[in-house]
Amino acid sequence: MRRTAPVVTAFVAGVLVTISFFFNEQKTLIGSVQTEILNWVTIIFGFALTLGVVSITRVNFNKIKRRQEGWFYSLLVLVSVFIMAIPSILSSSWSPLFGRAEGSIYDWIWVRFSEPMMATMFAMLAFYIASAAYRAFRARSAEATLLLVTALLVMLWRIPMGEWLLKQMHTSLPDWINVYVMNGFNLAVQRGIIIGAALGAASMSLRIILGIERTYMGKG
Amino acid sequence: MGFWDKIAAIDRRWIYLLCAIAVVIPFIVPVSLPVYTTPETQQVYDTIEALPDSSVVMLTYDYYPSTLAETEPMSRAALHHLFSKDIKVVTISNIPLGGPTIAERVTRDMAARYDKEYGVDYVNLGYKANYVAVMKGMGTAITNIFPTDNSGTRLSELPLMQDVKNYEDIDFIFIVADNATADYWVAIVNSQYGVPMCCGATAVMAPKMYAMVGSGQLQGLLGGMKGAAEYEQLVGHPDRALRGMDAQSLIHLLIIALVILGNVGYFLGGRQRREMGQL
Repeated sequence: MRRTAPVVTAFVAGVLVTISFFFNEQKTLIGSVQTEILNWVTIIFGFALTLGVVSITRVNFNKIKRRQEGWFYSLLVLVSVFIMAIPSILSSSWSPLFGRAEGSIYDWIWVRFSEPMMATMFAMLAFYIASAAYRAFRARSAEATLLLVTALLVMLWRIPMGEWLLKQMHTSLPDWINVYVMNGFNLAVQRGIIIGAALGAASMSLRIILGIERTYMGKG
Repeated sequence: MGFWDKIAAIDRRWIYLLCAIAVVIPFIVPVSLPVYTTPETQQVYDTIEALPDSSVVMLTYDYYPSTLAETEPMSRAALHHLFSKDIKVVTISNIPLGGPTIAERVTRDMAARYDKEYGVDYVNLGYKANYVAVMKGMGTAITNIFPTDNSGTRLSELPLMQDVKNYEDIDFIFIVADNATADYWVAIVNSQYGVPMCCGATAVMAPKMYAMVGSGQLQGLLGGMKGAAEYEQLVGHPDRALRGMDAQSLIHLLIIALVILGNVGYFLGGRQRREMGQL
């Protein structure tokens, strides 16, 4: 039953949504099934988020209780989760510190901690990219050389100083990069990737609907 | 170890230091070179310009705080353009981590500059989980997905939302995204409901979006901070993106110089080793 029920649910939901796609959702009952199922998905997704909070609390609480290595970081995780969540859930009609509006605890922590920390983490990529480019980006073959030259031209094209430099070489060079590289080679390759990925997604969906692919249940 | 081998094996902390200098210097000594407008950004500007006053535009805040440097200037420039044309704006976010908060902060700040009233000139729908279901569901009725706005006010109490029931009442969608939600806006809302749209995407995403501009599914594209800077220039409100272009210019030039130096070292170092009989 534990294995059959998810497969049957996936099959029924998949077939219904697929058939429903071809009917007018406002004029036919079968057409409206798709919207109804998707509404259910939104509700289930909300519960899944709650389940995530329960899971993160349980895992980190056990780590703290057993004083496992790095337990202090688990403590930080739990404090962060609840210090953000609880005041934001409480009604702002009780106090301006509650809710998520400007001036609330949630907003204060978000603007002063979360945003700068996330931006900092992402900004650090620039350092790693510079170091990796220096060590790894080598013209070892004709293909690598082509890639390298194209990348350098596009990098120049995306900055005002580079545009100025390119225009000194030829006034139309920035336009040529846009027309031939970005709207030419790049566009063609991207379309190929998008079509390939879509075919892959369609085949994977079919495998799930037919019960061939069961890894979503945590088993092969 | 020859000279070029030593160059190739340089401590990465020197590279980090050079990067830090390249980012900081332009903020102390700005260069402010003019920015050339790409046709894709011009298309975005022209499309918004062509919208009649009092049109309704949905502006998405589908980005995480990590990419604020690239994406927030796009949202701000878009709001300058939309509010200056007296266009009504409905904002939405498909990103739980920060999206609704950023939408609230940026939109309210920009609305205050143009004396726009909440509920009449703009509404923030906020966030609902599962963006595929959200995008699809709004095609039938926005209230099915968002019975209330981001602050918990019922949509039926907001004057703007009296006339905006589903995609049929939305004239244009301005996507600002740093992730795959942009693909779904195109695949679901443009392809299935025919709503015209344009996209502001991070520089990493932009190459993929060219395919959608080429097919006519997107009416234009802002690619990364450069796209945002071009758009700021077009709407006549130079701001963070244009300021950031100096730093981006220097860091790009530094990476280009490092790649060239690395390759020179690779080839000359190899020749040096061959001459010394090590290869």
